Amino acid sequence: MTKQVPPEYYQLLEELQAVDFVLVELTLYLDTHPNDQDAIQQFNYFAKESKRIRKVFEKQFGPLLQFGHSYSAYPWNWADSPWPWQV
Amino acid sequence: MPTPHKVYYPFISPFDPCKPIVAKTYSTPPHLYMQMQPPNLAQFTPHEALRAGTLWKVLYDPYFGPYEKLRKEDSSHD
Repeated sequence: MTKQVPPEYYQLLEELQAVDFVLVELTLYLDTHPNDQDAIQQFNYFAKESKRIRKVFEKQFGPLLQFGHSYSAYPWNWADSPWPWQV
Repeated sequence: MPTPHKVYYPFISPFDPCKPIVAKTYSTPPHLYMQMQPPNLAQFTPHEALRAGTLWKVLYDPYFGPYEKLRKEDSSHD
């Protein structure tokens, strides 16, 4: 039986994708506007938000990153499917 | 007013064997008209921004080919 992932797997991933895209945009903007206070506050807000979503996701579905950037579940299962391109 | 496209009309030679292309359009995205980006511009929501491809409403530039004029009206945020 092929492994299925619940729908909230995709919802959380899309949420994380949206938040990370905002962070990318703000990083590029802040590179040229280092003194923009509001943008920096927004950046920090979304950075915190991104960490929160990653925590929620990893608690349910296992690590997102490796080499210590994510905690590991038991057993050692970072190689389990689905891989990002299989999602 | 910044327009997403501009048109130019190439010279058409009487000896041109092919069907002449009268008008040619080229894309002129909004960032051409904006030197330094001003702070506090209006933003999309994160999910909209993900679909639109930019965080700032002013810089949103959906490319529709000349033959896709119809698609432009019905889905401004696809």
